[in-house]
Amino acid sequence: MTRRSDRTVYLLLALCLVISLVASASIGAFTFSPATIARYVGESAGWIPDRAADTLGRSVFFQLRLPRVLMGALAGAVLGVSGTLMQGLFRNPIVEPGLAGTSSGAALGAALVFVLGGGALAFHAPAGVVAVPLFAFAGAFGATMLVYKVSSSFGKVNVFTLLLAGIAVNAVCAAGTGFLSYIARDPQARNITFWSLGTFTTADWRGVALVGVCFVTSFIYALGCAKPLNALMLGEDEAAFLGADPQRLIVRLLVVNTVMVAATTAMVGVIAFVGLVIPHVLRMMRSSSYTFLLPASALLGATLMAVVDVVARLVIAPAELPIGIITAVIGAPVFLWILLREQRKGSAGFYG
Amino acid sequence: MVELNGVSYRAGATLILDDVSVRFEPGKLNVVLGPNGAGKSTLLRLATGLVRPTSGEVRYDGEPVAKLAPEPLARRRAVLSQHVELAFALPVGDVVMMGRYPHYGRVPSARDREIVSDALELVGMEHKREQPYPTLSGGERQKVQLARVLAQIWSDDAREHRYLFLDEPTSGLDVHYQLHILQVARGLLSPECTVVAVLHDLNVAFEYGDHFVLLENGRVAVEAGKSSEIPAAVIERVFRVRARRVESADHAGDYWRFDL
Repeated sequence: MTRRSDRTVYLLLALCLVISLVASASIGAFTFSPATIARYVGESAGWIPDRAADTLGRSVFFQLRLPRVLMGALAGAVLGVSGTLMQGLFRNPIVEPGLAGTSSGAALGAALVFVLGGGALAFHAPAGVVAVPLFAFAGAFGATMLVYKVSSSFGKVNVFTLLLAGIAVNAVCAAGTGFLSYIARDPQARNITFWSLGTFTTADWRGVALVGVCFVTSFIYALGCAKPLNALMLGEDEAAFLGADPQRLIVRLLVVNTVMVAATTAMVGVIAFVGLVIPHVLRMMRSSSYTFLLPASALLGATLMAVVDVVARLVIAPAELPIGIITAVIGAPVFLWILLREQRKGSAGFYG
Repeated sequence: MVELNGVSYRAGATLILDDVSVRFEPGKLNVVLGPNGAGKSTLLRLATGLVRPTSGEVRYDGEPVAKLAPEPLARRRAVLSQHVELAFALPVGDVVMMGRYPHYGRVPSARDREIVSDALELVGMEHKREQPYPTLSGGERQKVQLARVLAQIWSDDAREHRYLFLDEPTSGLDVHYQLHILQVARGLLSPECTVVAVLHDLNVAFEYGDHFVLLENGRVAVEAGKSSEIPAAVIERVFRVRARRVESADHAGDYWRFDL
């Protein structure tokens, strides 16, 4: 109905994203002013003559800072879109990859390769490049389908069963990951611990490329499903009466969602609550229509994650805080608040 | 015309519909009646093409429904269910626009928007267009859902055949909304539009309907063009009540009074 103003919101969100990306690229152990960043980019693109004056700074920027910033933004976009998709599929605003088992399943799958498949080397050996995301996908898909099957019956998702199923599946996956870190040799174990709280420190261009490709393909597919996702708000039968195929839609979107979440989790670890908070904020701000929510949650998710990453680098500098700690501190209260709101309203519906 | 030819439906070991053959003609308000568990909802789910029969066939103007692709079918066939809840808050206008989903690709056309306005006006909800759906009363919600299904089968080509199914559309609504929804449904009747309604209230059904199919344990107990053609004894047996026809001077048809 309001196409023009949707566009205005996208522009505003995109502006916020650019600002936070530049900020995230500038701030850290090395500080790069926006002018320096512009010079680096110009030099390596060949637009301005390469004076080779600051090769250390430049390689720090291109090899460490930039992939990290991009990985953060991509992870944020993935988690935001994933939260939106899963809330649409489960028809419930409290679902996100961290709660529905997707992230912990991916973490378990990745940890399996990590510990049993030849240790940290697996991460860098050619086989590891494929094996880690692949196992992450298998774990994530298994966990998500299990939660979905348990919590949905007769086309309806029961919130409480969903939460309990999520708790159970998350507990099993966490136990598995915990066991693996227990039997792992020391450096692997430390990595798993850090990684199960989410971290961008290990980001490199290969990871950025993997997550980028998974995100873009999944996102494009999801955008094409905005209409049936909206129709699904009415229930599975009504969506079918409108010409959609709900069963196929749900399975396909769960696959697409799992692909991007698994790739992200394999690279940066488990980051909870982002997928919960982003769609919630956008719904309150503007609209629950998926034609709006999908692009907007990508933009806002990327922005939020870029900001959180800056905070993680600054709070206890020169050390770094794991990302998942910050997102949990912000996200858990929001989650509790949503639950309280729902309880006060009865089960009549959300955002009424 | 909607035809069910020897349709049976089995769920597990129970036979819910047993060899049902009925015809719902266009231009008439076809009413399906029956006690709880008689198979009314199942009959409607089969007739709409949502569920495939275990045996038998459903045809729309001769075409088997099973052969129609979901989207083309959705452009000609709409279903108004009872109590449609929305998982999230959308404005009324967006809900009605869903009815146009089978008709457009990414962006609705100007004509789609016009149809949404016209449909909202037809049910008298145009002024609530921007209001969030969950804030409406039960009756208003049902009017909006009616507007949505009207928008779905709204056609600029008057010769195109369309099929509207109403599944207990007035249950839980007060008398104003009951009559409003049935009157709008009657207003749609034309040689190109077949309307089939499952109704609970026998007196309301007899007043608004033109053709009656009474189900009993998954079979057709009686099919009649007028309520007076249905023997009181059949109603008493099927609904397990005592029924008495009451003539009324100011009333075109008859009333029924029921006792246990």
